[in-house]
Amino acid sequence: MKTIELTIDDKPVVVEAGTSVFDAARMNGIAIPVLCHAQNERPVGVCRVCTVDCGDKVLQASCVRPAENGMKVFTKSDKVRKHRRMILELLMSDHPSPCARQRVSGDCELETQAAAEGIVTPRFSKRISPRGQDDSSLVISVDHEACILCDRCIRGCDEIRQNNVLGRRGKGYNAGISFDLNRPMGNSSCVSCGECMVSCPTGALTNKSVIHTVLPGGDPVGVEELKQLPFFQKISGTFLELNKNAVIKRHFKPGEIICREGDYGSTAFYILEGKVDIFLSSMSKDKAGTASGPGFIEKLTSVFSPRKKSTGVRNADGTIPMDAVIDLTLDNPVAELHEGDIFGEMTCMSLYPRSATVRAKTDCVMLEMLRNVLDVIQRNKTLRAELEKNYRKRALEDHLRTVPLFSTLTPEFIDMLAHKVELVRYSKGEVLCRQGEAALNFFLVRIGFVKMVEEHPGGDLVLAYQGKGGYIGDIGLMKRGTYAFTVTALDNVEVVRIGAEEFREMVAQFPVIAWSLNASANKREEHNKRHSSAVAAISLDSFLKQGLMEANSLLVIDLEKCTRCDACVRACSDAHDGVTRLIREGLRFDKYLVPTSCRHCRDPLCMIGCPVGSIRRRNSLETVIEDWCVGCGLCARNCPFGNITMTELPNTGTQKAVVTKRKATSCDLCADLPEPSCVYACPHDAAKRVEPNQFFKIMLAPSTTDDTFVTPGSVEGGRR
Amino acid sequence: MRIDRTHRSWFIASVTILIIATVAYIPYALFYPGGPRGNSLPGLAYGVVGYGMMLFAGLLGARKKVPIWRIGRAQTWMRGHLWLGALSLPMILFHAAFAARGPLTMVMTVLLYAVVLSGITGAAIQHFVPRRMFLTAPQETIYEEIPNVRDQLLAEASAIVDKLCAEPQAAALAASSLETGRTTVAVVEEADEILLSDEERANVRRVYVDEILPFLRNPDRRDSPLSVSVEAQRFFEALRRQSPPAVHESLRDLESICSEERQLSRQRRVYFLLHGWLLVHVPLSITLLVLGGIHALVAIRY
Repeated sequence: MKTIELTIDDKPVVVEAGTSVFDAARMNGIAIPVLCHAQNERPVGVCRVCTVDCGDKVLQASCVRPAENGMKVFTKSDKVRKHRRMILELLMSDHPSPCARQRVSGDCELETQAAAEGIVTPRFSKRISPRGQDDSSLVISVDHEACILCDRCIRGCDEIRQNNVLGRRGKGYNAGISFDLNRPMGNSSCVSCGECMVSCPTGALTNKSVIHTVLPGGDPVGVEELKQLPFFQKISGTFLELNKNAVIKRHFKPGEIICREGDYGSTAFYILEGKVDIFLSSMSKDKAGTASGPGFIEKLTSVFSPRKKSTGVRNADGTIPMDAVIDLTLDNPVAELHEGDIFGEMTCMSLYPRSATVRAKTDCVMLEMLRNVLDVIQRNKTLRAELEKNYRKRALEDHLRTVPLFSTLTPEFIDMLAHKVELVRYSKGEVLCRQGEAALNFFLVRIGFVKMVEEHPGGDLVLAYQGKGGYIGDIGLMKRGTYAFTVTALDNVEVVRIGAEEFREMVAQFPVIAWSLNASANKREEHNKRHSSAVAAISLDSFLKQGLMEANSLLVIDLEKCTRCDACVRACSDAHDGVTRLIREGLRFDKYLVPTSCRHCRDPLCMIGCPVGSIRRRNSLETVIEDWCVGCGLCARNCPFGNITMTELPNTGTQKAVVTKRKATSCDLCADLPEPSCVYACPHDAAKRVEPNQFFKIMLAPSTTDDTFVTPGSVEGGRR
Repeated sequence: MRIDRTHRSWFIASVTILIIATVAYIPYALFYPGGPRGNSLPGLAYGVVGYGMMLFAGLLGARKKVPIWRIGRAQTWMRGHLWLGALSLPMILFHAAFAARGPLTMVMTVLLYAVVLSGITGAAIQHFVPRRMFLTAPQETIYEEIPNVRDQLLAEASAIVDKLCAEPQAAALAASSLETGRTTVAVVEEADEILLSDEERANVRRVYVDEILPFLRNPDRRDSPLSVSVEAQRFFEALRRQSPPAVHESLRDLESICSEERQLSRQRRVYFLLHGWLLVHVPLSITLLVLGGIHALVAIRY
């Protein structure tokens, strides 16, 4: 990427070409005041508060002005300050000071900046014709008097949430924001997601009521207390007020487990006081779940037969047994965190299970927050870059330590490797490597799935797919010198990329790895040859196209057993107050119908962007939608399989949550019952909840029983 | 429910119970003073066990009404219904010592045979027919949605024919309402490629109104050539021969709509087969259970 050099306030800086002056300053610790630009939104240069002197004829709005090579920028010159002060004074003349936000949370951005410039009473008279208020919405209060027409709410509604409710109306002195075709907010198509309010820098859009988030296990934290912390300083106080209890304070005694590796979760932790230890207690190998329970006759006859010895989780000597050459000990922490550190954000960001166990080393006080709060924190690009850096470092080290292939590597070599390898992300459809290209890298899959395709003149052949724990590039690096197939990301994929030089150094120093990789490469080549001549590739292609490998728990209905009695749908409806989460219609895979019902995906796209953090996982596999859902519909739009439905729910008057027009509903695996109701109620043994990678293993690889190339699933029988 | 390997334990248990019951019956039948009869101790025992099995089998209907009650999996109840229901026949026969000594017991015996026979028929239907449905109706939908799907297919077919038979100007306007930034001339030029001559338009409209539309409105009728796939294939082949190549794709769309209609008809017939036998089995079973209860009360009292 091309870089350019410029100076900002006489400080030389180097940035990538195309960076705006505002971002160039921000990245180098120089703050430029701004009102209409939020870091997570497209800059528009409306307010001109971020005016700087770039040496041009006129002052420029830094948020939209691209930095140029050799540019000299002054952000605090007298000329710039004079102009900025005038703009703020003009804006303040039309602003009802103190506005609602300033009164409630004291963080109206306009009034804060005006105060910093010493503007107490503007010299200019206020407007005569009032702009009015709009109290029609149940959730958000609109005060047009306080609006500075920065358009942040419009960009938030249209570009971030894509609800397309907000827009501009009128011209000149009569200009303002409007909902739909200038309807009252409460009568518009507004879904009350709160994004406009979060985006608003003043008190023009403020919350009327809280969302009634219920995050258990801790004490609520006041907005004033949160705003003292660096992580929360840039977050809108009105957002924090709306989402009270989305951040709670928790206390832990020494030795207490805060979160456990392998558990699902949707919260991150910020350490206020104390220290914690981090442990990795298992290798990157999916645990076998429990199969469905014994039948009636089996239960009866099991009285007379000896029970099978259950495999324990732990050996008597305190080690964790696993399918590897070594066992790991519990009492060997890999890291320690202190006051001001954040952890658990990996689970929040990636929505995958907790990657480590965290235990309190001393008395700890920490803040636990939902994903929507972390999302808003991450809108600050500087903070996000820091979180990303920590995330990558930790993710990299965790993964290298837990891959069975590397079990014989010394800790020193792993530390050395961690500095030389890269954590790389690929979006769906991106190519990791192409068939025939020189093999330059070895890839370890950390998150997501990749597809391995062999290109033939007559058409491409899908050979296999790899998930977490899988690796690619061994055949190319060990044997052929070129990649044997094209590898493409099937969803959001994260890989550890090891360069050829480091790879060769590793296999030279650790012959066990070389032997293991050679054996696996030979098996894979043999499998590929057999698979190339088998017709069963069609099944695998269909399996991947339907996204079935993504599912943790897939509902399938055997159409050769199902009598279409709809007992499953009736049971689902009865179990959920008359609102079924299952529709007995969908795509087919072989003889199975895959009905429209939540698949509890490994990479739950539905959870991304929930404004109130209500769609989440607690500590287990099930995707749940909490009571405080505001019905914005984003999760339903995000789900690629149409498994989330927006349902009109009656207001019983006893709801704790804000009254909304509708709420999202999806299958929750009947979490409070021992077995999903649909499966329980099927009289014909047709409906099953399965882990598809295991369930369809034989069908997908008919010519081999080797499961090397079809990633073993994490759950057997659909429930962890 | 498919009777497969998973029923093995039930089968073994049922056969075992049958063998034990038979082994116990033989000496009872041969040596019991006064001969075997319903009101003897062993006879009563057989009767109670047999009626208990019938009662359990009959409770399946009630179990299905409360699908989420945790009183045993529906699958277990269904297997119990099948096997214990089948076992109830020999138990009752042993109870009655293979004789019916009165009008009530005569009726009950006939009912018992009818219920078991209809049950076995139903079990066979539910064993074989789902696979048939899967193979012959790949585009099956939810049964209650068939009328809605049919409405959609009809609307789709009408839209195809309307587009084919539209006047050039109307077609251009229709097409241009979907396109932005394109001139009407360009759209009309494009539209002319798919339009027919007046005679061809009239022919398509006539065929649609006379043959296809009546079938789509009443797909279950058997007198239409479109109700049989081979004849439908011939019909559309003939239509394609008469029509210019530009419309062949639209004709293929119409053909696939008709094919889907046939599948939906097939689905309805198979669905009726899958569930229709219950119209016989359930009333007979309820009657048998009621009469059995009356018989027990009468026998105890008198």
